[in-house]
Amino acid sequence: MRRDPIVLILVALLVTFMLAFGFHRARRVSNQIGAPAPNTKGGVAPDFTLQSLDGKTVRLSDFRGKAVLLNFWATWCQPCKIEMPWFVELQKQYGGQGLQVLGIAMDDASPADIAKFAKDLGVNYPVLVGKEAVGDAYGGVQFLPATFYIGRDGKVVDKVFGLKGRGEIEDDIKKALGQGQAVQAQK
Amino acid sequence: MNRFSSIPVPVMLLAALLAIAQDDIPGRKVPSVVMSPVPTASVTRGKSSTVDLSFRVGSGFHINSNTPKSEFLIPTSLKLEAPTDIVVGVKYPSGEDRSFPFSPDEKLNVYTGDFTVAVSVRPLASVLPGKYVLRGNLKYQACDNAACYPPKQLPVQFEVKVVKAPPPPRKNPGQSPHIHT
Repeated sequence: MRRDPIVLILVALLVTFMLAFGFHRARRVSNQIGAPAPNTKGGVAPDFTLQSLDGKTVRLSDFRGKAVLLNFWATWCQPCKIEMPWFVELQKQYGGQGLQVLGIAMDDASPADIAKFAKDLGVNYPVLVGKEAVGDAYGGVQFLPATFYIGRDGKVVDKVFGLKGRGEIEDDIKKALGQGQAVQAQK
Repeated sequence: MNRFSSIPVPVMLLAALLAIAQDDIPGRKVPSVVMSPVPTASVTRGKSSTVDLSFRVGSGFHINSNTPKSEFLIPTSLKLEAPTDIVVGVKYPSGEDRSFPFSPDEKLNVYTGDFTVAVSVRPLASVLPGKYVLRGNLKYQACDNAACYPPKQLPVQFEVKVVKAPPPPRKNPGQSPHIHT
């Protein structure tokens, strides 16, 4: 069968275009959808400075030496509302071992509304007023809840997007408490 | 001979696979609400007419109804900017009370699949007959069974054709009392 070279060239160009478009799109979508930036898990958690609801300036680096559960949430997020009481319990349970839960409200609601929401849920950990830049630093938090487990050494142990079971959360807390323990002991 | 028959089969297969692969990116699915096209509606000057706007929520997602059950949830709302002297009103459908795996004991009032928002359009008598475009935004906030997505705005646009009210039916002229011969 005789092959028309023009058709072959056109097909080759089409395939090249599809490959280029596909890779470009995959990279763009992975950035947009909140798939975490490749350097966050296992790397040092990006530091930030945010205001807490009670007006204090809070830095992530203030908690170096503790395991941090960093939870991005919002008042309009029902699944977030489910896991926050678990965080309250887990903060009580593991706080003595060095766990610090931090909530970051990615909300347009007023701080007063956020505070009311948190109070209704009995939140016993600092709630910080989020900024988009902080979400971006964590890979672009495009949906909530998004939770980062940070070891005592400041490195990201795990990151979880969407609601997970309490058991999984507890397992991740244990991992975070374990990570960097040797470093802590040497200090 | 069909020119496509000269394309080598492996190349065609590769192209097809690539096309499929582009749609198979993990986490690609994002919530979407789309509006069906609305044909130009004819509305009579001085009278109220209804224009139905049909929306579809992407499969696997829900959005809050206009009257969600919690003060913190963001209601679906349509804001329209109408030309001067065209009065618009929005009537939302009732949501569906549903519980979700993340909170089986709590029911939320939501829209899923298709829903229709009825817009009443009443051009005042001062409006000149002709076509007018109404623009606005549907604000919604979507969730799936495990996560929620930030509020979004869907641009909404439709056209109405304002027409004059038909003239009132003419009464029969009064009969003359005189007898014409």
